Amino acid sequence: IYSISKYATKYLTCPMTVVIGFEGSANKIGIGIIRDGEVLSNPRRTYITPPGQGFMPSDTARHHRAVILTVLKEALDQAGLKPADIDCVAYTKGPGMGAPLVTVALVARTVAQLWGKPLLGVNHCIGHIEMGRLITKANNPTVLYVSGGNTQVIAYSERRYRIFGETIDIAVGNCLDRFARVIKISNDPSPGYNIEQMAKKGSQYVELPYTVKGMDVSFSGILSYIEAMAHKMLSSGQCTAEDLCFSLQETLFTMLVEITERAMAHCGSQEVLIVGGVGCNLRLQEMMGVMCQERGAKLFATDERFCIDNGAMIAQAGWEMFRSGKVTELEDSWITQRYRTDEVEVTWRD
Amino acid sequence: LSACFFHHGLSLDVPFPSSHEATVALGSLSPDREPRKGGISKQLTVSGSTLSVRWSADEARILRVSVSSFLDHLSLVLETMQKFGPPVSQ
Repeated sequence: IYSISKYATKYLTCPMTVVIGFEGSANKIGIGIIRDGEVLSNPRRTYITPPGQGFMPSDTARHHRAVILTVLKEALDQAGLKPADIDCVAYTKGPGMGAPLVTVALVARTVAQLWGKPLLGVNHCIGHIEMGRLITKANNPTVLYVSGGNTQVIAYSERRYRIFGETIDIAVGNCLDRFARVIKISNDPSPGYNIEQMAKKGSQYVELPYTVKGMDVSFSGILSYIEAMAHKMLSSGQCTAEDLCFSLQETLFTMLVEITERAMAHCGSQEVLIVGGVGCNLRLQEMMGVMCQERGAKLFATDERFCIDNGAMIAQAGWEMFRSGKVTELEDSWITQRYRTDEVEVTWRD
Repeated sequence: LSACFFHHGLSLDVPFPSSHEATVALGSLSPDREPRKGGISKQLTVSGSTLSVRWSADEARILRVSVSSFLDHLSLVLETMQKFGPPVSQ
């Protein structure tokens, strides 16, 4: 009875579990603190590049290095917590860009050692799913995960988040971001947000390739087509930039709704959860909502605070993993640019 | 055997206030492997309160990239220790 571990001792005296989550796999750096499903703090910074330019790994890592300790202090101050109040340090293990991932992992490893807390490497995609489930209370949804780096339709079965359909080339958000660069749309606050606003003023639908392949989708051909045609069509007055934004959104989102519906039919699912940065697009939510209504299904989505990459989502997935008994040893805490959603054994669900 | 292919080397010794801090830095900097598969090796060790790094590479270009990114990483770890340390005694 005297050999009880220090973590077990803490559960006996205080049953609350506090997890801090570090995220920085792309151009957002976020640190969030979660205490048993309650978001105590979730500050974030975005690396914004000039119009026409994407974000490169080394520049993004430099941005993250410059602000990460300020964001960490904000996370602790806003939560009103001291390092001693934290039970576990979670960080994004992958997938994502190598240099930014390493930057964030270095700080997570260092504070975990300084504070004497266990470390936990989290799959970024699982972070999105668990945050979506926490915020919307969706029970067992078909998940559409759409962002700048990922496009997947996912359903849970027997301890894995299984990928039913995905992009066979670039992510939907990457297609939108690169289209924004072609016609020099601002990256502030994000290219996708600005495309969404411009699309509201579009009136003419320009036909684009439609590339659903079974359960999968392809976006690179649509991007090549619009890259090749955009300047010609705009300079000849055939259509406006707003028309192109509108047409691109309608085409891409119709494809996403189609594969989501097919996965729902396959699984007999009556719930859809949209996560990832593109998931805060209200037009995508509207189109998915129509499909759900026709099927008598329910749509769940969150706003930009939790859809877009953030620290709390890593803390939440970390909380689930930690409570199910998982930790990551320091020597196993290497980051990985490739890390599929279905590689993780989901030990915290039945 | 592969050592004979390496033509470029570098040693770096980083002093810390205590061996505990040197060990924390080692723990933070060690887990990630070099991004490229071959052509470079990097070894980190701690002796007393000194963190030592030994590189060997077959091209100066590859060595320079590795050393430069290591220094960025080291300075971030040091800054984290200054702002969020000192280490709690176990």
